[in-house]
Amino acid sequence: MFEAKGLMVFYENMLALNNVSLSCGENRIIGVFGANSAGKSTLMYALSGLILDIQKKEEMAGGERITVRGDVLYFGQNIKSMKPSHRARQGIVLCPERRRIFVESTVLENLKIGGYLANSRQTQETIEYVFTIFPALKRLSKRLGGFLSGGEQQMLAIGRALMAQPKLLLLDEPLLGLSPVIQYLLAKAIKEIRDQRGISIIVSEQYARPVMPIIDYGYILENGASVVEGTNKELMDNPDVKAAYFGS
Amino acid sequence: MSVVKQDRRKERVDRGIKVRTDGVYAVSSWAEITYLLLPRMVLILGLLLAPVVLTAFPYWQRVLSHICVYALLAIGFDFLANFVGLVSLGGGLYIGVGAYIAALLNSHYGLPPYVTVPVATLAGAGLCTVILLPCLPLRGVYFAIVSLMFPLLAPRIIEALDIFGGTDGIVGLDGFPSGWVEQYLMIGCVLIAVFALRRMVTEDVGLVFRGVKDNDQAVKASGIDITTYKALGVFIAAVLGCLAGACLAHIYMWAGISQFGLDYSIIPIAATVVGGGGTLIGAVIGCVILVPISELLRDFGTLRIAVYALILTGFIVYKSEGIMTYVTRKYEQFERWVEI
Repeated sequence: MFEAKGLMVFYENMLALNNVSLSCGENRIIGVFGANSAGKSTLMYALSGLILDIQKKEEMAGGERITVRGDVLYFGQNIKSMKPSHRARQGIVLCPERRRIFVESTVLENLKIGGYLANSRQTQETIEYVFTIFPALKRLSKRLGGFLSGGEQQMLAIGRALMAQPKLLLLDEPLLGLSPVIQYLLAKAIKEIRDQRGISIIVSEQYARPVMPIIDYGYILENGASVVEGTNKELMDNPDVKAAYFGS
Repeated sequence: MSVVKQDRRKERVDRGIKVRTDGVYAVSSWAEITYLLLPRMVLILGLLLAPVVLTAFPYWQRVLSHICVYALLAIGFDFLANFVGLVSLGGGLYIGVGAYIAALLNSHYGLPPYVTVPVATLAGAGLCTVILLPCLPLRGVYFAIVSLMFPLLAPRIIEALDIFGGTDGIVGLDGFPSGWVEQYLMIGCVLIAVFALRRMVTEDVGLVFRGVKDNDQAVKASGIDITTYKALGVFIAAVLGCLAGACLAHIYMWAGISQFGLDYSIIPIAATVVGGGGTLIGAVIGCVILVPISELLRDFGTLRIAVYALILTGFIVYKSEGIMTYVTRKYEQFERWVEI
């Protein structure tokens, strides 16, 4: 259903993504793992289309020139030059790195803003759903986003992304800066979302340990290139991956 | 590997001579020395020769002084906005305070311009810094609003209390001995200001300034009092503004409430945007372009502002990097197509 072919992104003369291809079938969870500067965020920008936005801003400010090459296919249609807002309408929704929740709006308002693309029945239903998978949010629904803890903010960010009724959810580093307990809790929730809503999910993460068990297929990025790929079993058995991500 | 490999992209590469002149090889040959000196000399000689070239047009010589007044303000604005992170709309305040102090010293105590200008510059800058001191914790648009309030407030106070000559202003000040002294004084001040500030922002104190702009909390965490540095930044910008104001008073031999005018707050911003923010020289270039345009448009009366707004909008939308940033890139880098 979703496929990226030969993605290359240059920040000026620096190669950030080198010929990365990945595909995601329906109702699957795809993992993208890599250290800092491996190109995870750039990949997410390229998949969600935000890179086009950044490209334009940099061009206007006379900053770096960003070059994007390669194709992004979605249900057989090439959406390579489609704006991020249109991609969201088509069902590709990004949950951005560092959460980026609206700090001056309450939890409920945050969710409603996320539901801009949904009709009122979907909005109601999805809010209920978000509160069932993240019961912690229900208690806090009147609190301002800025006063939530890191874990609660992340739940809210995922919930907000769900409100846009995605068919493909892109999670950029959802476990960033969270304690191991919360990390496992969120990983479980991500799997539940896939199982219960039938949403395909691409998750990029540094911490492979909590995420690896829930994915169907994974890619390891290193210096912008995809070096290893395979099912979660294959990846966990790969000695290099083991050494780098599981410390044994 | 199945991807078609005829894709090309444009690459930007530093020119060889640019890389060489970054280091000690800058003085290795005339070519390198010329490469470094040429742009600076164009600016310096261009400004120094301008009064001579304009000898036949006394009106435009006066405009040249005006360009310098605005250039000093614009340099201060660019420095405050892009190196200290304070967007200040207080240009009118600096000019007005500088002009009034110089005028009072000259008319009441009979001090000559070569005393009043330095005194008005320092005292005025101190006064402006004290006035703006309570607003320094404010950031972004809040500081801009508050700093704009003072130049709006000052003329009303002078009007209401009928002090300093009230609405008539202070008239009959001494002028500069001759037009040449006036122009070369202004041009010298602009050149010294722009090169001194360019040097300062790369020194240690400049690093702190830029740190305050980027992340003031991290600067505080390093044990540096940011209010001191913000006050110092405002003082530097106010020195430039009050100097321009004091000179302006002696150029017109008059100080009045129109010197708190909005023009002095707005045109420096426009010039900085057009010339390229964060380059300091860009601010001067912006003034050299915008102030004569504004003089040419004088016939249109208030439509002047409309034309200004159009120019500004056009620049922000189509070339928000500014002239100086664009030209620097072309001077230092070349482009070529490379196969991906």
